Amino acid sequence: MSIDTAVVLAAGEGTRLRPLTRNRPKPMLPAANRPIIEYVFDALVAADVTQIVVVVGYKRDRVRDHFGPTYKGVDLTYVTQHKQLGSGHALRQARTAVDGPTLVVNGDRVIDSNIVRDVVEEFERTNEPAMAVLERPETSQYGAIVLHDGDVSELVEKPDTDEYRLINAGVYAFESSVFETIDETERSDGELALTDTIGRLMDDGRVRGVRTEGMWVDATYPWDLLTVADEVLARGHVDEPAQSEAVWVDPAANVHDSAVLQGPVVVGPDCEVGPGSVVGPNTALGQNVTVGANATVQSSVLDTDTRVAPGSTLVDAVTGQDVTLGAGTVVPGGRADVRIGHQVFEDQRLGAVIADRVTADGDASFAPGTLVGPRAHIGTSVRASGTVTEGAEVIR
Amino acid sequence: MCGIIGCVGREDETLDVLVHGLSKLEYRGYDSAGVALSGDRVDVCKKSGKIADLRGALESREIGGAAGIGHTRWSTHGPPTDANAHPHLDCTGDVAVVHNGIIENYQSLRDELVSAGHSFQSDTDTEVVPHLIEDALADGADHEAAVREAIAQLEGSYAVAVVLSGDDTIYAARNDSPLVLGLGEDAYYLASDVPAFRDHTDQVIYLADGEFATLHADGWHVSDVDGDEVEKTVDTVEWDPEETGKSGYDHFMLKEIHEQPRAIRQCLRGRVDELTGSVDIGDLGDLSPTGVQFVACGTSYHAALYGAQLLRDAGIPAQTFLASEYATAPPPIGDALVVGVTQSGETADTLSALREARKRGARTMTVTNTVGSTAARECDHALYIRAGPEIGVAASKTFASQLTALNLFSLGTTRTSDSREIIGALRDLPSNIQAILDESNAEAVAETYVDSGAYFFIGRGLQYPVALEGALKMKEITYKHAEGFAAGELKHGPLALVTDDTPVFAVVTGDGEMARKTIGNVKEVEARDAPVVAVTDGQSDVERYADAVLEVPETHPQAAAMLANVQLQLVSYHVADKLGRSIDKPRNLAKSVTVE
Repeated sequence: MSIDTAVVLAAGEGTRLRPLTRNRPKPMLPAANRPIIEYVFDALVAADVTQIVVVVGYKRDRVRDHFGPTYKGVDLTYVTQHKQLGSGHALRQARTAVDGPTLVVNGDRVIDSNIVRDVVEEFERTNEPAMAVLERPETSQYGAIVLHDGDVSELVEKPDTDEYRLINAGVYAFESSVFETIDETERSDGELALTDTIGRLMDDGRVRGVRTEGMWVDATYPWDLLTVADEVLARGHVDEPAQSEAVWVDPAANVHDSAVLQGPVVVGPDCEVGPGSVVGPNTALGQNVTVGANATVQSSVLDTDTRVAPGSTLVDAVTGQDVTLGAGTVVPGGRADVRIGHQVFEDQRLGAVIADRVTADGDASFAPGTLVGPRAHIGTSVRASGTVTEGAEVIR
Repeated sequence: MCGIIGCVGREDETLDVLVHGLSKLEYRGYDSAGVALSGDRVDVCKKSGKIADLRGALESREIGGAAGIGHTRWSTHGPPTDANAHPHLDCTGDVAVVHNGIIENYQSLRDELVSAGHSFQSDTDTEVVPHLIEDALADGADHEAAVREAIAQLEGSYAVAVVLSGDDTIYAARNDSPLVLGLGEDAYYLASDVPAFRDHTDQVIYLADGEFATLHADGWHVSDVDGDEVEKTVDTVEWDPEETGKSGYDHFMLKEIHEQPRAIRQCLRGRVDELTGSVDIGDLGDLSPTGVQFVACGTSYHAALYGAQLLRDAGIPAQTFLASEYATAPPPIGDALVVGVTQSGETADTLSALREARKRGARTMTVTNTVGSTAARECDHALYIRAGPEIGVAASKTFASQLTALNLFSLGTTRTSDSREIIGALRDLPSNIQAILDESNAEAVAETYVDSGAYFFIGRGLQYPVALEGALKMKEITYKHAEGFAAGELKHGPLALVTDDTPVFAVVTGDGEMARKTIGNVKEVEARDAPVVAVTDGQSDVERYADAVLEVPETHPQAAAMLANVQLQLVSYHVADKLGRSIDKPRNLAKSVTVE
C-alpha cells in the first residue's frame, strides 16, 4: 500500500536548547540558515508525500506563520497538541487528519530523503510497521535498537551502557490502526511515548527496522547548532545559489565588493555585508542579517535579523533572531566548560550563545561558553561570561 | 483568484449545488459570479457583485439542466461587470466556458477570431475559448475533440470547464491552476478547491497539469494531452480544506496580521541597500515629482495621508484626497503626479479619480497589491506593495505594506541627505513587528474594554493616520462606534463625547514636541475619567497617565507608525472575536469595492 501522507511532530519546545527556544520551538531553530523542519519537509516532498500534517504546540504561531497553508505545493494541515504529553500523544492529535497509512517523522532533526524513502519502500514491501535505524556512536542519547533478521527485537530509550550501536532515527511508517494501538498504550509518568506504542506493536507482531544511511543531524544543546551548520554546509544542502565553490549567496543580498566570503558560507536573502568584512568559513547568515564594515565572522550561525556593527569579531557564535551587537563586539571563540543549571558540559566549542532580541552596546566582549538570555542588554565595554539571564541589564 | 464549480447527475438540484459551491468559494475573492446549465440549450445567468446578487438575479429566471458550471470571479482582465462575469458564450450561444487563470496569448487569439468574424461581448481573456470551440465544431469536430482542440491553442495558466447544448457532459482541463474532481453517488463534481463540493462528497481526484477530464452522470474519465487514459487515485478528504487556508488560525485576518513581517520583507526585497543608503524602485526613481496628489479610499486613504506627510517632510508639496470626492470635484492639478493607492487596483472610486486626473492631462501612478489590475494597467506607473493575497475583508497586512512602499517611493524620488538611517529602520520592521506579535498584551486590553460604548483613537503627525486606521478597523470588524482624531483636534468638539465608558487609545512614540503635546491631550481625556490606553515605545512618560499600555519597540519615527498599527489591529481583532463577529466578512462590506 502506498503512502502519501506524513505526520510531522513539531509540538515540543526542546528545552535543552534554551535560551534559543524562548520564542519558537526547536524545529524552527536554524540548521545553517533555514529552520530544521524545512529539511524534514524537503525530505518528505522528495519522497512523494502529498499531504503533511504538522502537529504543533509550543509557540505554534511561529511554525504556521513561517509556512502558511502549503510547502512547495504540498498541503500542510496543522493540528494542535495543547499539552506536550509525549510523542504518542502528539501523534494522536493527528488522527482526524490522517486517512490510511502514514509516515511519522520528528520535526526537530535534519534528515535526508533517503531515510524516508527506505522506510516507505520497506513498508510497501512488507505491509508491516517500519522504522528507520541508523548506525551511530551516541546511542545513549537516543533510542537504541537491536535488530533480528530485520525485525526490531529490542528498543531501549537512552541506554546507560555503550553495548548498542544502532539508534532509532525517528522516521516511521504505520497503518492507520496505529491510532488504536496508541489508545491501548499505557502512559508512563503521565506521558504517552510513541516508543511504548512501538513496543506494543512488537509484542503483537513485527516491526521492521530499516537500516539506512544519509544525513541525519540533531542538535541537543545550543552549541550543537554550530556542528549542525558545519554538516549542512559540508553537504551543500542550502537553498541559495552557489557563487563559487562552497559560497552560497542569495540574489537579494548585498555583499560589498571588498567583503571577503570564505567558503563554506551561506548568505541569506536581504543580508547586507559591509566593506572590508570577512565572513566564513563555516558560517551561516539567515535572512536580513547585517555584518558591518571590517567585521569578522567565522564558524558562526547568525539567525534572521541579527545586526553586527562595524569592527566586530565573532568566532563560534550562535545568535538568535533580532540580536543587535554594537561596534567592536568581540566573541573570541574557542572551547570552554559550559554550565547549565547544575550540569557542566566540559570542553565544548562555543564562543557564545546570544538569544533573541539581545542588544549589546559597543565594545562588549563575551568569554567562551557564555549563554545570554533573551532581551538581555549588555552595556558598553562589558565583559560577559557564564550565564546572563533573560531581560538582564548588565553594566560595567 | 477565481473559483470554478461544476456538477453533473443532480438533475433538478444542479443549480442549487452550483450556487452553494460558489458561496463556499467566495473566500477566494469575488466581484462577480455566474452559472451555465446545459439541457437542450445552454442557459446562462451572471452578475457582477456578490453571490447574493446572483441569487437575486436567479429568482426571476427559470433555469435548469443536467450539467452545470459556475464561476466566482476576481477581476484580472477587464472590470467586474455583468458582461465580464463568467460563463462566457460563443457566437451561437451553444458553448459556455468558465476559466480560472490567465491566458497569455489571448490577444493574438482574439485578433484572429475577430478578423474571422467572431463577435466578443467581454474584455476577458476567457472569451476566446468558447469561440475557438465554436470554430472547431464548425469544422466538424465532435464535442470532446472541439474542446481539446481549443485547449491545445491556449498558453498560460488555466483551469477550464465547458458545457455544450444538447450534451449532459462537462469537459474540463487544467494547466497551472487548481482543479479537483469530486465523486459522489451517480453525481460528479469539479471545482478549484474541495470546499465547493465537500458537503456532497469526500472522494476526490486531483487533476495534474495537462490532464483532461470528462464528467457525465454515467461516470468520469481522465486522459492526457494525447487522449490516452490516465489512471487516477481517489483520495478521501477528512478535514475541512477551507480551514487549511487559514493555517490553523481562527480567522484569515489574524493569519494576515501575523504575516506582516513576511509581507514587509517581500516589499523591501531587492529594493533597499543600507550600505550605500540607496533605494531602487526602477524607473519610478526618475519621476522626481514637483507635487503629488494622492487619491484613495478607506484604509488606503489612511496610507495615503501618511505618504503625503512623508513627501512634505522631504520638501515636496503633497496632498491626499478621498477618491470619491476627487472624482467629482477635482482640485487644480497643475503638474502634480496623481497617485492612486488601492490594494485591489479595482476600487471604482479610485479608478474614477485617476481617470478624471488623466483626462486633465495629469501623470498617474498607482500603489497597489495586484499586478495586472485595472489601476496598474491604466496608470502611467505602478508601485507594487507585494503583500501577497489578503482574504480578510478588513485590510491588515496590506496597510503595513502600503506604508512601507510609500517610504520607498519617498526615498526613491526625493533627495535625502542620508537615507541609511530610515533604510535601517525599514529593515528592522519585520523583527520589530515580530516582537509585538510575540509579546503583545492586546488581548487582555480587549478583554478589559470589550463592553465599552465607543472607542476613540488619537495621534499626531505620522501617528494621526494610524489613529484613523485604528478606528476604522474597530468599526469594520466589531460594529462598534469608533472615531480617530488628530490629537490636537479633540478639544475642539469631540471631547464632548468622552466619558468613563469611552476608552481613548493614544498613540505616543518618541519624546519630542509631538509626544509632549499629545500627552497634554491625554491629560484632557483623563480629566473626563476616560480610560486611556497608551500605545508607546516608552520614551515619553505617557504611561503615567495611562490605564493600560501597549508597548512597541523603539525605532525611527517613520517606522513607528507601522508598529503602533499592529497593536491596534490586535486590539480590534480581539474585541471582535470576543463579540463573536464575522471577522473575515463583516456585514455590509466587501473586500474590493468595485462600485462607486
